[in-house]
Amino acid sequence: MSGSLQTLRQQAWQAFEEKGLPTTRDEDWKYTDLSRIQTLLGEQWWQPAGTGAVAIDMVELPGLDAWRMVFNNGYFDPARSELPPGVTITSLASLMQDEPAKVVDLLAYQPDAPLSSGLTAANSALAADGACICIPANTRLDQPLYLLHLNSGGTAHLRTGIELGPHAELEVIEHFHGQHSEAGLTNSVTAIRLAAGARCTHYRLQLEAAKQCHSGRVEVSQKADSSYQLHAVELGGMLSRCDVISRLDERGASCELGGLFVATGRQHIDHHTRIEHNAPYCSSRESYRSVLDGRSHGVFNGKIVVAKGAIKTDSAQNNANLLLSPDAAVDTKPELEIYHDDVKCAHGVTVGQLDKNQLFYLKSRGIAEEEAKQLLTVAFADEQLARMNNHSIRRFIERAAFAKLPSITDLEGMLV
Amino acid sequence: MMIKIENLHASVDGKEILKGINLTIGAGEVHAIMGPNGSGKSTLSNIIAGRDGYTVTSGSITYKGKNLLEMSPEQRSWEGIFLAFQYPVEIPGVNNTYLLKAGVNARRKHHGEQELDAMEFLQLVREKAKLVELDPSFLSRGVNEGFSGGEKKRNEIFQMAVLEPSLALLDETDSGLDIDALRIVAGGVNKLRSSDRSIVMVTHYQRLLDYIVPDVVHVLADGKILKTGGKELALELEERGYDWVRQEAAA
Ligand SMILES: Nc1ncnc2c1ncn2[C@@H]1O[C@H](COP(=O)(O)OP(=O)(O)OP(=O)(O)O)[C@@H](O)[C@H]1O
Ligand SMILES: [Mg+2]
Repeated sequence: MSGSLQTLRQQAWQAFEEKGLPTTRDEDWKYTDLSRIQTLLGEQWWQPAGTGAVAIDMVELPGLDAWRMVFNNGYFDPARSELPPGVTITSLASLMQDEPAKVVDLLAYQPDAPLSSGLTAANSALAADGACICIPANTRLDQPLYLLHLNSGGTAHLRTGIELGPHAELEVIEHFHGQHSEAGLTNSVTAIRLAAGARCTHYRLQLEAAKQCHSGRVEVSQKADSSYQLHAVELGGMLSRCDVISRLDERGASCELGGLFVATGRQHIDHHTRIEHNAPYCSSRESYRSVLDGRSHGVFNGKIVVAKGAIKTDSAQNNANLLLSPDAAVDTKPELEIYHDDVKCAHGVTVGQLDKNQLFYLKSRGIAEEEAKQLLTVAFADEQLARMNNHSIRRFIERAAFAKLPSITDLEGMLV
Repeated sequence: MMIKIENLHASVDGKEILKGINLTIGAGEVHAIMGPNGSGKSTLSNIIAGRDGYTVTSGSITYKGKNLLEMSPEQRSWEGIFLAFQYPVEIPGVNNTYLLKAGVNARRKHHGEQELDAMEFLQLVREKAKLVELDPSFLSRGVNEGFSGGEKKRNEIFQMAVLEPSLALLDETDSGLDIDALRIVAGGVNKLRSSDRSIVMVTHYQRLLDYIVPDVVHVLADGKILKTGGKELALELEERGYDWVRQEAAA
């Protein structure tokens, strides 16, 4: 380990020891109580669980043709991975060993970064593996890159860095998956840098096991005319929090953040997003939907910051929530921080039950009450998924999401 | 007899809207209901189709010998009641064809009939789409999603053709249709006329009745049927408005 990497790790560890886990007294964590992590995993909850030596059963994402990196409990599994030639894609672990200087930037803990917390510090101090991806200028992978994070319980800290050169293009899928009954914590940080004109489509699929906690952070910085599109899907885990920070740093950059939560039982899902318009002529679109059943709890906080001088900012945000049960709850808050006049910022929030007129229309066509309700629920969620261009992923998510809800008789027929 | 409505009183939020409707429609008959805005025409159609939010305070509706008011909206549909909405609702994400397939098969199941498979159903909808000259691209779109006003109305009649009701209530199907569309859609409805299918048309305009000639015309005003006549009554209304009907009824 090189000197500076070691120093960085130590500093991050110190910061973590000082900060610990955020508490609900912290405004950004008001609705999400992380004390459960300690209750579940004990005092040393941060201690990484395994070495990744044991290969965990694969999941199939039918129809997906992609380059692949598989991780077991936070560790890269080269045997089950397949990487494209011509671009630099390595595991963080091997890069740390071979060229430690190169990972200093990626792993650095910045205490002043928005929404950073003790969890981010722990990640900087402890992340042992992840993916490091460099797509050179004017290059486009012939297939998407699929990062499959399998876990079997316990704690894993992952750090992933994605860098796209000028006018490079990448479709990347981060898929967090667990099928076990152990308690655990996934602590993942993904940093994405887009050079001028680069385009990145990012699917982030959270299908953790029932007793898994999940903490995610996605930090995107964008140069001129680059574009970033996020599809975040939250289906699994008992407690899941994801912070998305998108910085539009140069003229003409654009981002599109989309999210879907489908929560049942006592699941708790929280997304805090922050879009920074730091330059003129940037645009941002944000649309989050949630379907909440049982006693589940959804939290959405969408902050848009428009810096001084960011003329012709064009921003729109929407958050729609469907509550299927009287015990489900949502806390949603759009936040605008505007330091410039010449901006367009539209936002809308809805929280509601199924639409009575739509329900009556379906029933009047002979569809029984229960099925009509399910149909409208599926349609509501599916509208969010309709923005996904990758059909295999969309189908996979539809099946996984709708399997959580009372199923309709002919789901496959409906999805045609 | 298809349907018999006797002394029907209904209110919304404590406000009485229907004030004693009496109406009997025989099998195969086509009735037109005309009347001023807000007189209760849509309320009557909605109550027949089973929309909630209305309180029937007295009276009865007997449909094919059964007490209609006891049935859920879906049961009414299975028993052959169809409402073409005055304002069809958009349902993004629910496929038009899927909706109809689910509806048709739920009804078949209810009657102990074999459900249609995908191929049979596709054939059925294609054939029915031709009847109202509905562009097949509408079949795979979300229900009424982004349809123009006229397209929505055409879609309603297409749905009627697929669901083959015994009693169809067409609530202002003509409004929103352009001149050519009106002719086409009315032509479709005429092809659907049969001795075992009754049709009620709610309309403000005589024009529709030139295409679909009714057996009986009613005037509904202030929550009551004030006058009933033949098709020539519609012509008279077009000329003279509704005041004279009210005065006549008051006398
Ligand atoms: N849900 C409701 N809540 C309150 N008032 C209602 C409701 N539904 C109907 N009404 C009232 O009942 C009366 C009758 O309405 P209805 O829609 O049946 O009229 P209509 O004869 O169909 O009129 P139009 O020719 O304009 O379509 C109106 O005064 C209307 O405002
Ligand atoms: Mg009306």
